[in-house]
Amino acid sequence: MGSETPLPKWASTPCIMGIDEAGRGPVLGPMVYGCLYCARSYQKTLATLNFADSKTLKEEKREELFENLKADESIGWSVDVIDPRELSAKMLKKNKVNLNEISHDSAIGLINRVLNMGVLLTEILLEYSDQSKGITRLMKENGGLVYLDTVGDADKYRIKLSERFPSIKFVVAKKADSLYPVVSGASIVAKVTRDRALREWVLEETSENMHRSFGSGYPGDPETKAWLAHHKHSIFGFPTLVRFSWGTCTSYYKDMAEVLWESDKVDEDVGYGSSGKQLKLSNVGFGKAAKRKIEEIESSGKGRCKFFHSRKLEQLTHF
Amino acid sequence: MEEEKGTTGSINLSLNGKEEKINLSGQVHHLPCCIKFNGPCTVSQYFKPKLKGMEIDGLAVEEAHFRGRKLQGTTISLPNGYAGFVLAKNNSGKRKAYDVSEGNSNDWEMKAKFDKLTYWNHDTPPSKDDPFLRSFHWFTVTEANFFPPYFENPLLQLHKQVKAEDLATIDAALA
Repeated sequence: MGSETPLPKWASTPCIMGIDEAGRGPVLGPMVYGCLYCARSYQKTLATLNFADSKTLKEEKREELFENLKADESIGWSVDVIDPRELSAKMLKKNKVNLNEISHDSAIGLINRVLNMGVLLTEILLEYSDQSKGITRLMKENGGLVYLDTVGDADKYRIKLSERFPSIKFVVAKKADSLYPVVSGASIVAKVTRDRALREWVLEETSENMHRSFGSGYPGDPETKAWLAHHKHSIFGFPTLVRFSWGTCTSYYKDMAEVLWESDKVDEDVGYGSSGKQLKLSNVGFGKAAKRKIEEIESSGKGRCKFFHSRKLEQLTHF
Repeated sequence: MEEEKGTTGSINLSLNGKEEKINLSGQVHHLPCCIKFNGPCTVSQYFKPKLKGMEIDGLAVEEAHFRGRKLQGTTISLPNGYAGFVLAKNNSGKRKAYDVSEGNSNDWEMKAKFDKLTYWNHDTPPSKDDPFLRSFHWFTVTEANFFPPYFENPLLQLHKQVKAEDLATIDAALA
């Protein structure tokens, strides 16, 4: 979703772009990455549009500013809505992807999208030659500039982005959403999109007694807590709106049927740091006890000839 | 006898007066996890498999989520001549067998039948290399080896029965 083509003329002049996220912390609903871009020459006007960090604005004000910027032909925008199912699935994969990586990938995806539209974000190289002195060198003109709120270590993030997009200059900073109007604008785009997505969310589950008073989705919000408590399910855990990989969910698992996964066994053996969350999730014990448990649940064909072993066929004398 | 570790019991596959057998085809899911629960559950309200509109090795890929994990699976028909059964311990004989210790009661009754099931992988899309599908090779081998008409010359019949592709994987496994 984003501003529509055709590409405005100003997009072929050096542009600035801000990228920010909404809904990173909540235990439910999508995470949204938004970007906002405009011509460098529009920067001064942009600063007068009262964009501020979306968190400091009231909801009505955010909605109003979003409608304004949508109507502004000198501004372009785009969003990436990451479904809670996708967040949970990636964070609970056999090879886990952490939230920072997901965030980085989303930002990179937005940059690619805007570049492919033909918006000039890159720096421009000018050849400077002075014949009298016999020198020729490349000079960087004021080109495009991309501002981001940092995710993780700012320097590492900037280096990662620069490696990916060598011709783009990045400014990665803490609190970029309150420092740079173009990032404030992006934060409004992201926040309004996230709020609307949650408001219009259609629960996939068709169980009765479900309601949509999610609250903000933040783990500390009493309304969110009440919603979680009301919607927990002893077998399925929660509706898929919930991010199962969140620590908040763990406290509810004790009331649910235990679920053991084959992939948890791999974690057990490797034992690297990030596995902790997942183990807690399924309440697998540690060490040898856990390994025994997995063997209990999974037919392995261990100790039999290769034909059976590779097909996990076990001989059963009792059932 | 000491070396006989198996138990004896019975499996009753008759309808037992029920009007018709319950057919669970399309509702049986084999998950890549163990759910420590036995009993009824409102599966269809929460578990919503969707066809992905793509095929791998001729298997139509489906996607679903369970406890936050992405599952990819496919619905398969059981091989010709085989059927799946849901069995439950026979309760009617329980009182009679009260003197026998609980574990030895081993009479089973058919509760439902299925000829299709959906098996799911965590993260990986289904393929013909999945152990679950490959376990069906065993049927081919047993048919070739043990069915009475083939007893005369099992080896010859093995070649007749087993498809070339199956043999290749069996060879690879035995190597």
